[in-house]
Amino acid sequence: MVVTVTHEDFAINRLIEERKNPEMGAMVSFIGVVRDDGIERIELEAHQEVAVEELEVIRDEAFAKFPIKSVDIIHRIGDLNVGDNIVLILVGAGHRREAFEGCEYIIERLKERVPIWKKEYTKEGERWVPGKGE
Amino acid sequence: MKIRVQSFARFREIFGSEQIREMEEGATLAALLLEMAAENHAARAALFDENGTVRRYIILMLNKKRIDREELEKTTLSDGDELALYPPVAGG
Repeated sequence: MVVTVTHEDFAINRLIEERKNPEMGAMVSFIGVVRDDGIERIELEAHQEVAVEELEVIRDEAFAKFPIKSVDIIHRIGDLNVGDNIVLILVGAGHRREAFEGCEYIIERLKERVPIWKKEYTKEGERWVPGKGE
Repeated sequence: MKIRVQSFARFREIFGSEQIREMEEGATLAALLLEMAAENHAARAALFDENGTVRRYIILMLNKKRIDREELEKTTLSDGDELALYPPVAGG
């Protein structure tokens, strides 16, 4: 299983094939993608060491809360263009319900707690995307 | 004593990515934030609201442990401490 913050893109199909095992009847993936909100590109910045530690805590929480079999979390940083992948969460479980619940739990906690920030670049200039409570 | 302060995202653009601050023995985390805020208007506006209260959305990590706003006055700093200063996160 992988938990990482990286400049590299991910290969979702390859990861799914690597994770499949006979105990799994369901694999749920969430992929966050750069949306065209009138932007030219975005830049993602992280406090990388702390971000990975926090993602590992969230993974462990998901295992404690749901009967899931595998969790992979890959979050990208650096310059990304519209349509580029930002984040992948892949959860394997015996049944679909726990796979969906585990995957949703992880992305919601990630957006609340993991030290990663987005800056948008448009023709008019640049701005940091406001975070929760800002 | 020396305190290392790291800042990220828009805070990095105000405070720089890293600075070493010299503080008196026994200084609190609240005192450190006040010193940083005193340097210019942008720093003060980033850290404190119009009532002089530390903004509720700021995330402070001292030696990788999250510090609540209620703990700022009673958190005493030590030589070599590392403070990370985050604006609200926006990943995913």
